[in-house]
Order: sequence, then C-alpha cells, then structure tokens
Amino acid sequence: MSYTLQFGQVTGYLPYLAGGAWISLQIAFLAFCGGMVIGLFGAMAKTFGGRALNHLVGGYVTFFMNTPQLVQIYFIYFALPDAGILLTSYEAVLIGMTLNAGAYLTEIQRAGFESVHRNEMEAAETLGMTLMQRVRYVVLPHIARVLFPPLSNQYILMTLGTSMAAIFGVEELTGRAFNVNAETFRSIEVFSLTAGLYIVVTLAATLLLGLFGRFMFRAKMRLY
Amino acid sequence: MLGSILRHLAGAAIAIALLAPVGGEARTLDEILSSKKLVVGVNPTLPPLGKYNDKNEIVGFDVDVSQRIAEMLGVELEIVKVGSPDRIPFVASGKIDYVMGAMTRNPQRAKIIDFSVPVHTEVFGVLTTEGKPYKHWKELNDSSVKLVQVRGTTPVKFIEKNLPKAEVLLLDNYPDVIRALAQGRGDAMVDVVDFVGEHMNKYDVKWKVVETPVNVYFCTLGVAKGNDSLRNWLNVALFELHREGFIDETWKKWFGIDMLFSVSASPYF
Repeated sequence: MSYTLQFGQVTGYLPYLAGGAWISLQIAFLAFCGGMVIGLFGAMAKTFGGRALNHLVGGYVTFFMNTPQLVQIYFIYFALPDAGILLTSYEAVLIGMTLNAGAYLTEIQRAGFESVHRNEMEAAETLGMTLMQRVRYVVLPHIARVLFPPLSNQYILMTLGTSMAAIFGVEELTGRAFNVNAETFRSIEVFSLTAGLYIVVTLAATLLLGLFGRFMFRAKMRLY
Repeated sequence: MLGSILRHLAGAAIAIALLAPVGGEARTLDEILSSKKLVVGVNPTLPPLGKYNDKNEIVGFDVDVSQRIAEMLGVELEIVKVGSPDRIPFVASGKIDYVMGAMTRNPQRAKIIDFSVPVHTEVFGVLTTEGKPYKHWKELNDSSVKLVQVRGTTPVKFIEKNLPKAEVLLLDNYPDVIRALAQGRGDAMVDVVDFVGEHMNKYDVKWKVVETPVNVYFCTLGVAKGNDSLRNWLNVALFELHREGFIDETWKKWFGIDMLFSVSASPYF
C-alpha cells in the first residue's frame, strides 16, 4: 500500500468542521436539558405516582430504550408528515434525541430517587413539606452528587449520538465531514481530523463537567 | 557483439509486447455470426439499466435491448460484467463486442472507441412538483428556493458553482430525497431525473420536469475503433428498435416512466 497523507488539502476546512462540531454540541446540550426535565418528572412519577402513571411512564421508557434512536428520528422526520406534522431536520433530530434521552434519564434519576433514605423522606413529610418541596430540598441535593458521574456519561454518549443527524440533513460535524470527503476524496485525512474534533469536544465536556461536579456537588469525578 | 544486439532486440520486443493491448482485435460482424455468440458489456451497478436479480443474474434495460439485438442477429447473448473504469479498455481490446451502461458519447471517448446511434438519453435537469413556476434551471438561483439533494453526489458541486443562492438540504439517498420532495420539504432536485422514476411513482404527487434541462446526454452502444462492419449493422438494428417502439416500451418497463427526452427514429444516421 502506498498512500501519501496530505492533510494540507483538508486543514483549510477546519473552521467549517469546527462550525459543525458547535452544532453537534448545541443539539446534545439542548436534548440533554430537555431530557433531564422529562427524566425528573418521569422519575417522580415512577417513584411517587400511582399505578396508572407508573405504567404510562414505564411504557414510554420501555419503548424508547428498546428501539434504535435512528428509527425513532426516522419516524419523526419521514413518517409524521404523512399524518400532517412536518418538522424541519433540526427540530426532528432535537425532538427525537430529547425523547430518547428522557427515557434513559428517567431510569438514571429513578435510581437516584430510590437511593434517598426512607427516613429522610418521612422526616420531610413530617415537617409538612409538599411533594415538590421534598423533591426540591431533599431529593435533588442528594441525587445531584450520586448521579453526577452517570449523567455526564450520558451526556458524552449523546454528543457522539448527534452524528446521526447528518442522515436527516443537519449540517453538523459528521455531515460536514461527508461533504469535505466528497469534495477532496481525502477520506483518511478527513475522517481522522473529524475523529480528532470529536475527541476534543468530548474531552472538553468531560473536563468541564468534572470540574463542575467537584465544586458544586463534591462528586468524586475523574479529571483527565 | 551479435549476442548483445540480439539481447537488445529481445528486450525491445518484450517491451512492445507489454505495451500492446492485451486480448487482440475486436471481432467483426462475420466473426460474431460464425461464432454464434454476441458478447456485451453491462454495468450491474446502474439500476435499472443493469442490476443483479435474486438469482444473481444481470438483468435490466441494457440486457433486454441486447437480448433483442442478439435475436435479430440469430446468435446467443453473453453478458460480461463491466465497471465504469474498465469498460472502454474491455471494448477496445476486443474482450466484448460492444458496451452499454449509460455510455454517453463525447469527443474524448470518440478518440478511443466508436459510437452507434443513440439508444437512450439521460436528462440532467430539474425535478419539481406541479404548481412550481420554474421554466428554466437557472431560475433556481434564488434564496427562496430550497433544493433537496443526495449528500456527496456531483450535482451538489454543480449547485455550489452555478446556483449558489439556493438553499440546499442534503439527505442520505435518492428514496429519501424523493420522499422529502413529495412531503414538501423542498422545491426541487437537480440531478439525472430518469433514474428516480421508480421512486417518483410511489407518491401521489404530480411531478414536473422543468422544460429546459441543464443537459441531455445521448447514450449509445460503444464499439471498438474502426469496427464498422458491426457498428453499421447495429445502427440499422437500433433504427428498427426505435421505430417499432421497442426501446420506449422497454424503458417504461424498467424505469416506470417514459423516457424524458425521447430518441426518435431518424432514417438518416
């Protein structure tokens, strides 16, 4: 094999690719925040809700955790228009990823809810706190520390998962890498540079999340 | 001294032998008739011109046309799989009698091989839906226009250069692009329109091909340079196939739509 690496043809596209990485980060961040909200209410419903609510949330979680995310977004993007709901590429990907994240984050936060000691909850109840107050003042401070590591892992996974947005016409990092590849035919260079950008983006996120977790919640995070 | 000259001559002979095309001469019409076999190159990666069926045989428009041509000659048909880079060397070296596979005629290729009269056309143009006002592809160079294209294909570069103002949505494959147009996600697609016919037919949408295309390519049978005995006969055969409507029917059978820019039979060729 004799292949001459020529990064010079590709490095000119670095700002273009970095712009794509920014969109990837945006989608991951928004979907994660949305997913956290869904997950919080999902976990509350599963822990404190009645039987019907429990089943409803259980059905949602089971559905989204046991079907591929690609299929979910495909459904939202290409099947919903036949029912009269036409979403743009960005909206479809964001909604798909948010709903998917919501299911995983429901399960992660439910585990956190259950790790709160029963006595603490009863003590709060005795003090006359409402459900929302108990969640706000007792559960959240507790699970923030316990759940920080699995939550940041989920966030990293979601950042990498944004690559499938390219299939639906969102010009994020992977989509832009395909474009540059079609332009230059320098596949090894283009995709190694793209992989490098993903590593930079996720390592930076890991570091920031780690620092945030250490100082805010005294969570024991591994820093790189 | 003599030995040294001989060695040099031998070396030169080997060099010439290596440079000469392998496989030798193209077969004349007489040789094809006496061998009772017509050998045709078809590209199976260009459906529906050529593709593999579930028995792993090559079928398609090109095969049907060649089958008919072999019947007219009264010989057996043998299909040889060719790809885009090797198809011209195959015909130039006589491995196949003629080649198909969207064999567009152009002056560069005509220096190396000869072309028959056109078999079919390919329209590189604009596919849109009825009700859109476009009459000429250049009208698409407008910021209000949204084109839907397949990521990584050559028309994307064409658009960047010639229709820079249009917005472009890049999707993964042709079925997705046609679905997106049918669902109203964009206004038009710029590409070779003939090949998406089977996808277009899946939607209850009134399609329209913009009157002035970017280009029309004439696809022919490619024969070896100077093989006039075969080429002259093929031209007469193709005239008959056009006149009796066989080409148009076969096109409709495989592409699901009429040939967008029909090749009419001309008694002068």
